[in-house]
Amino acid sequence: MDKILTKTKGFFKNLFGNRRVSLDKRKARSGYLFVLPFILGIILIYLPILLDSISFSMTDYQNTVVDQKPVTTYTFVGLQYYKEAFEYPAFTESLLKGLQQLVFQVPAIIIFSLFIAVVLNQDMLGRAAFRAIFFVPVIISTGLMDSINASDIMSAAAQGGIDDGSGGAATSQIISVLDVKSLFSGMKVGGELVTYVVQIVNDVYDIINYSGVQMLIFLAGLQSISPSIYEACTIDGATAWETFWKITFPMISPMILVNGVYTIIDSFTRTTNPAMKFIQTTYDSRPMYATAMSWIYFLIVILTIAIVAGILSSFIFYQRRD
Amino acid sequence: MDSPKITKETKKRLVVDYEGKLSAKERLLKKLKTSNTWIKAVVNVFRFVLMLGVSFVILYPFFARIAGSFMTRADVADPTVSLVPKHFTLEIYKALIVENHYFEALWHTALLSLLCALIQTLVACLIGYGLAKFKFKGNKILMGIVVFTMVIPHRTLKLAMAQHFAKFDLFAVQAWGMKGPIEGIFGEPAVLFNTFWPLILLSVFGLAFKNGLYIYMMRQFFKGVPDELEESAYVDGAGTFRTFFQIIIPLSVPMMITIFLFSFAWQWTDEFYTKLFWNNPEDFYLMPQVYQNIPDSLRLNDGIESMYNNIVQNTAGLMIIVPLVILYLFCQRYLVQGIERSGLVG
Repeated sequence: MDKILTKTKGFFKNLFGNRRVSLDKRKARSGYLFVLPFILGIILIYLPILLDSISFSMTDYQNTVVDQKPVTTYTFVGLQYYKEAFEYPAFTESLLKGLQQLVFQVPAIIIFSLFIAVVLNQDMLGRAAFRAIFFVPVIISTGLMDSINASDIMSAAAQGGIDDGSGGAATSQIISVLDVKSLFSGMKVGGELVTYVVQIVNDVYDIINYSGVQMLIFLAGLQSISPSIYEACTIDGATAWETFWKITFPMISPMILVNGVYTIIDSFTRTTNPAMKFIQTTYDSRPMYATAMSWIYFLIVILTIAIVAGILSSFIFYQRRD
Repeated sequence: MDSPKITKETKKRLVVDYEGKLSAKERLLKKLKTSNTWIKAVVNVFRFVLMLGVSFVILYPFFARIAGSFMTRADVADPTVSLVPKHFTLEIYKALIVENHYFEALWHTALLSLLCALIQTLVACLIGYGLAKFKFKGNKILMGIVVFTMVIPHRTLKLAMAQHFAKFDLFAVQAWGMKGPIEGIFGEPAVLFNTFWPLILLSVFGLAFKNGLYIYMMRQFFKGVPDELEESAYVDGAGTFRTFFQIIIPLSVPMMITIFLFSFAWQWTDEFYTKLFWNNPEDFYLMPQVYQNIPDSLRLNDGIESMYNNIVQNTAGLMIIVPLVILYLFCQRYLVQGIERSGLVG
């Protein structure tokens, strides 16, 4: 015991007090101390959980009673669940639906939040009040409230989308789909565009509610653009439109990448996502199978993020900072 | 150096000096003649109306829910009642408070959220600072792991997490039949279900819900803090930890309040972990139980049942978020302030 004590004492002495080590090395050491909780957590808890999760997705289990004690025996089944999941049409369909929802929502969320952030960044009447209102969804559109909203929408659909104003269907359609359709049919544009706009309009509540954090990030980015650049533009006679596309947009483009990735993660990991819902229902009856499914899902998420980040990052403009 | 700022007052003075000889009416007319003013006015009005409209979309569900929560069953069935209830009643609130143990759930959730949010904020601060300001081996790999914990859907780890905290041990991979130190010393692994411990442990290690995001935000914030501050503290003889607690922490208070608000609110409305770690919901009331069960006294079997149940659930939702909204009103100015200074760019 004494030996261990002196050894640990020596270790800490080395860590803090050894004057012979260079400043850089000592700094690196205290850097480890700062991230120590995370490293410990990864090794002690997270890695075992991760490995368990992977192995559970490849095992079958049986609960038996030996000597009046419940005993779980695991048998290795390999990639059977993965194969099964890929051959299960309902699962692949829900994956496709999730991706489709992503394609619809992500551009809309990014454009909307950028627009609102630009407007909120300008000097206007009641700006403080509007800011306060617009960030309300950040704190309340997750978890519990999300599932309450979801059940709300379902009931609204069951009632034929008619809002009786009783609060029963608080989040039902705000604009009638028929109005939008008639507006667009007069304009002779393609059918795809009409469906897209109609879907966006239908999801307007979701889109507004899911873009709180993105708005905050965009606003932060807008605040960090130096006012002297805008001043120079005004002196050179640029219009507001030109200033936006030539200055604001390129300067904010790194934020578009951050927000794009964040939105994809958020949309994929939301409990209301069709694929997540499907995995959830499977989990109740066959947890191992559902775990395998969610690993497949995770790979798809990573792949999507990599593709989107790859595409977006080729358009990004980085200002050189001195 | 900043250029001298032109405030509103100096602007006014300039105008007065220039057009001092004109009367007020002439000045106004001259202003109106330039088309720019008109365009500006129209744009301003349009912008204001648009913002008002979007605010309405955000706030409308609350109004509708508040209105619905005071309705009687007769009002729900009556198609002529819209938004304003005819027979004002508090029966839904009463039933939720008494039968769904609202105040008990409120107290438990407040305690849990406060504890988790405090720990998570501090830990995210420490880890973010370590990742931002120190160059050590594996720094980038650690950052990659942080992003990984952010990306992985928590459903993927649900089963393994449930197994791990039902029979908690360090190091042990259960599917491989490994045994950890706790089982080695005490003979059997610790049972952490139905306690605060799983969430506290996850918070302490920076692995709880969305902690990756907090760490990332703190790291970006600290990257924006100039190194000269710390260097001058080192020259004065302060160690890294003293510098951190006496210099860095005081200046990152707005950002910390932002993180605190996020973690508090997201822990408050979380149902994934609370459902996972509390398998006997009747013993320990938390927020999810308030809205999941319809109180017996409000049950009915007629045509409007699903609609009425929906209103009850919405009312429960309102009661869940009221404390959050109050907290938000106090903290919201720090939200923008914290993010503004975060220098999230790049």
